[in-house]
Amino acid sequence: MNRTLLAAIVATALGTACNSTPPTVNQETKAIASNGVPRTADGKPDLNGVWQGGNGRRGTWEEANSGLGVGGTGTDAAAPANPASQQVITDPAPYKPEAAARVLESFNKRGIDDPAGLCLPLGVPRLALVGLFPIQIVQTPTQVVILHEYMSVFRVIPLNAEHRTDVGPAYMGDSVGHWEGDTLVVDVTNFNDKGWLSGTGTFHSDALHVTERYTRVDKDQIDWVITMEDPNVLTKPWTVKTTLMLREGTRLQEYVCAENNVETAHYEKILKEGVPYRR
Amino acid sequence: MSRLRSGVCLLALVLLFSGPALAHHSFGAEFDANKPITLKGVVTKVEWTNPHSHFSLDVTDDKGRTTRWVLTGYTVNALYRTGWKKDVTMKVGDTVTIFGWRARDGSNSAHAREVTFADGKKLFYGPPAGTGEGGNTPAVKVP
Repeated sequence: MNRTLLAAIVATALGTACNSTPPTVNQETKAIASNGVPRTADGKPDLNGVWQGGNGRRGTWEEANSGLGVGGTGTDAAAPANPASQQVITDPAPYKPEAAARVLESFNKRGIDDPAGLCLPLGVPRLALVGLFPIQIVQTPTQVVILHEYMSVFRVIPLNAEHRTDVGPAYMGDSVGHWEGDTLVVDVTNFNDKGWLSGTGTFHSDALHVTERYTRVDKDQIDWVITMEDPNVLTKPWTVKTTLMLREGTRLQEYVCAENNVETAHYEKILKEGVPYRR
Repeated sequence: MSRLRSGVCLLALVLLFSGPALAHHSFGAEFDANKPITLKGVVTKVEWTNPHSHFSLDVTDDKGRTTRWVLTGYTVNALYRTGWKKDVTMKVGDTVTIFGWRARDGSNSAHAREVTFADGKKLFYGPPAGTGEGGNTPAVKVP
């Protein structure tokens, strides 16, 4: 028995430390290690909970998004978003020259061609990087499910499984996962070519292969490292390092994007009438 | 204006290091961050919908002429988390003041950042200027 598991059992026996994340299918979570990382009954880091991407601040949703932040309650309307809500550390994406030109063209069009404008799923990892919406991770010993409030999309990630071969290309690809020590590694393939990766215009081909590494480093934070490979458009793997922050007390809402998507018509009007919108 | 400009510049700076979008999609293509506007009027319609909320505002000028404006803001999911309640926080007939940015097409439409209610209470209604348009620097190097 490893020391971590022993510590988990001792902590459980002492009746300490139930985390306060929303109830999930995994109710066995009892133990919290000294670094604040709770563990499931099978000894794995417990990733269950509601999380926010694209915002590195700690605290509840209200605390982390107050002031200048996303959905903030601050008082200065002209102020920008809180810098902490924009936390992604990355170098310029390594696109091939002709592909970079396409990315740049989309950027110069201010993202008017964003698939989000058509209420489509944004793909991996972009969907979880839109800090306006939380995600929920539901973890069991055999699978991890990620529920995205944005676009009401889910990802079912079976553990220690092979990729399925009986489905066509998908916006969110096909995911399988496994544990490497305390890191959940997710391998994603079988994408279509309709999503963006991270940032305006960051298109990809159906040859995209994404590898995600989720490591819960303390009670509040999962380090999320995403490596994207696409030999059709990238010159080398593109790695983005970011975080998911725990938002205790937050519950996911319904989000039906198609309910009243008048912006698409607005964009068509802009294009038809020649309204100057480009950079 | 300088406050707005510095704010927009700071936003652009932080977006330099970012991939994520703050908003549903490009507010920047539809609205102009260089055209701030403040309007006071009477709410005539509220659309509590996704992907964006909208409301109409009848604004009467000092000559008695009334113009109807349409304001666009956050997804309702964000509004709930920002302190709004459907049919409670803002109702038809309420007098409110909005601060935001005008539409690029010159129509009587704007992206409302903030709503000030009759009692002086303020709530954000939409994201900061220029969001969803990729910031100031593209994801790739400019040749």
